[in-house]
Amino acid sequence: MVQTGDWVFVLSNADTLLFGLIVTVVLTLTSLSVGFLLGFPAGAIEVYGDGVLRRVVRVAGGLLRGTPIVVILLVLFFVVSISESAFITATVGLGLRSAAYQAQLFRGALQSVDDGQLEAARATGMGKLQAIRYVVVPQALRRSMPGFQNEFTIVLKDTSIAFAIGLAELLTQGYNLFTQSGRSTAVLEVFLVISAVYFVLTFLTNRGLDRVSDYYAIPSGESR
Amino acid sequence: MTLLRIDDVYQSYEAEQVLQGVSFDMQQGDVDVLMGPSGSGKSTMLRCINRLTEVDSGDIWLGDTHVTAPETDVNELRQDVGMVFQDFNLFAHLTALENITLGLKRVKGIHAEQAREQARDHLDQVGLGNQTDAYPAELSGGQKQRVGIARALAMEPKLMLFDEPTSALDPELVGDVVSVMEALAAGGMTMLVVSHEMGFARSAADDIHFLDNGQVVESGPPEQLFEQPEQDRTAEFLSGLQADGPQ
Repeated sequence: MVQTGDWVFVLSNADTLLFGLIVTVVLTLTSLSVGFLLGFPAGAIEVYGDGVLRRVVRVAGGLLRGTPIVVILLVLFFVVSISESAFITATVGLGLRSAAYQAQLFRGALQSVDDGQLEAARATGMGKLQAIRYVVVPQALRRSMPGFQNEFTIVLKDTSIAFAIGLAELLTQGYNLFTQSGRSTAVLEVFLVISAVYFVLTFLTNRGLDRVSDYYAIPSGESR
Repeated sequence: MTLLRIDDVYQSYEAEQVLQGVSFDMQQGDVDVLMGPSGSGKSTMLRCINRLTEVDSGDIWLGDTHVTAPETDVNELRQDVGMVFQDFNLFAHLTALENITLGLKRVKGIHAEQAREQARDHLDQVGLGNQTDAYPAELSGGQKQRVGIARALAMEPKLMLFDEPTSALDPELVGDVVSVMEALAAGGMTMLVVSHEMGFARSAADDIHFLDNGQVVESGPPEQLFEQPEQDRTAEFLSGLQADGPQ
């Protein structure tokens, strides 16, 4: 039941939640960056690469997509112990998982660009890498925006799974509030506030990325 | 001076023989047209000349360059061979001007400002000086194809290849593109054109090569091929074209 005293309790501990919020935002950004830096080349390798490299990328991607994120984080932290820092572990885990999904996103976007574009670029004397970089990639990045928006919000919300390895992100900080002795009545208020914060973050992110998409959209006009 | 020499070129795609011993020469300044039914190998022949497609055997020479030699640098070769595509293939994310400057900057290493100036000149040349900032999707088919021609010309090629440049156009837009091509021909550009545009062939072509089943069935100047073809196969195909009107 919602009680005034519990609202006061939550608000008076806003700094605890604010700290969690900052960790959540930073973790989202670091994870997405790792995901992009690994996922984009991985997607390109799936489209243009061959041999061993492509096989490695495919198998790694398949494994990461086929493993629950909470398992990935627990294994990285408690079994492999890649780092004593829960933050670094969470960045690696969420980053690798996001890389696997972003690779698929970019693979689809790269493949959706008509072969004629690459051919025309090659016909003017550009090398394959130049043609991909200056002609195919700029179009593929634009087409991957809707999927990337999805991925952004998924990673944002999945940072809460770092709760499992004790990282002091937003959910963990909230949990720590109502598990203090005598504060268990604040559980509903804490979750309401946290949910609202996640919602606002997701909403603002999506609006922001919509703007970016519109700004870079290729003018189509009315074809005359 | 012989600019292009095609010598006994064979090419196959999977099990299918596409070109079966094609040979012909072009002098500098010549305008030749390849005609023939679909699947006869016309487009493949063009694509072998800038090595978008590799030959199985035979030789192609462009001036002193042995096009088909494995050690030939294809990126250098392609700067000498402009190509215009049936579906335009304009870079969709770039304006008309940027479509032209990209190659100038990235391939020829020309400074941005100078590249823009040259690109403007080439757009003027095809009558699109007022569309520099338009994106491909904002242009009509005829305008797109003229940008495509300007993009290829800007690289200052020795030879221009046209792969059915008017086939994807609405009939009323064909004329603009054909006039640009005629002006180019009159200006002395060496052009090899895959097209069934009889008007262009009559007005601009030095020779027409009629291809069927991957072989040159008959070659000759337009008046000879159109009026008195020696081969029945040529006569049959051309009468079909004339009955249907230009395609």
